[in-house]
Amino acid sequence: MTTRAGEVNPDEATDPKNWTNKLRGRLEGLVPPGQALPDRQPVYVASWIYVFGVLTLTSLVVVIVSGFVLSMGGSAWWHVSSLGHFTNSVHLWSVEMTFGFMVVHLWGKFWMAAWRGKRTLTWISGVMLFGISIGTSFTGFLSQSNFDSQWIGGQAKDGLNSIGAGAFFNVLNPGQMLMWHVVLLPLGVGALTLMHIILVRRHGVVPPLDAKLEG
Amino acid sequence: MSGLSVVAGAPGRYVNWWVIQISVTNLTIIVVMVLLFILALVVPFPTGHDEQRDEEGRSR
Repeated sequence: MTTRAGEVNPDEATDPKNWTNKLRGRLEGLVPPGQALPDRQPVYVASWIYVFGVLTLTSLVVVIVSGFVLSMGGSAWWHVSSLGHFTNSVHLWSVEMTFGFMVVHLWGKFWMAAWRGKRTLTWISGVMLFGISIGTSFTGFLSQSNFDSQWIGGQAKDGLNSIGAGAFFNVLNPGQMLMWHVVLLPLGVGALTLMHIILVRRHGVVPPLDAKLEG
Repeated sequence: MSGLSVVAGAPGRYVNWWVIQISVTNLTIIVVMVLLFILALVVPFPTGHDEQRDEEGRSR
């Protein structure tokens, strides 16, 4: 309620029960002030090993953009168009780069024991992101609409049946696999990436193991 | 298109060692990644002099 035109009641503006205020408070508290997009980092971040996280993210952007273009052309477009073929190659190689950078990032963080300092959830979200990314890429191989995808689907079918997943996750159904690849799994990848980045910004990048010794 | 078919139809080369069988392509990629990891640890990161003087290991 407002008292006059354009004048907000101060009591109402700070009402803790107001869901808008609660949501705003939660969003504002996600990362410490100034840490959402910091322009300075601790001195130990000046190492190439700290670059691989953002390289993974950059490659993922190329994956998503090239995937959008492929989606507009349709699943068979890359078979009949040179531009489609080029876009498909960009999509494939950006995925290769994403995984390459992600694994080097994983090695660096593992040997740095990056779960230290209340960063457990950051580590776990990264592990989950790695897992769901593998699923997303595998369904991509099943969405090639060629003999390769057919062969991979045939090989995967027995394995998935043996664990009881074949009834609802049918790798021999290209339409279902395409939907998993372009909608369901990317939603998970996007949500986990956002969560991972927010957690990194919230707790800061992990210092090297000997950072305290250096004072 | 015919050139593409030749490439796609070429048999892959594999390395066999004990129970491990891996394609030369995949092995090369893994070796490059390990090399990249080692280089990331040992190659100095270019920093400006201002940044080196500033910052005493600012921690959050």
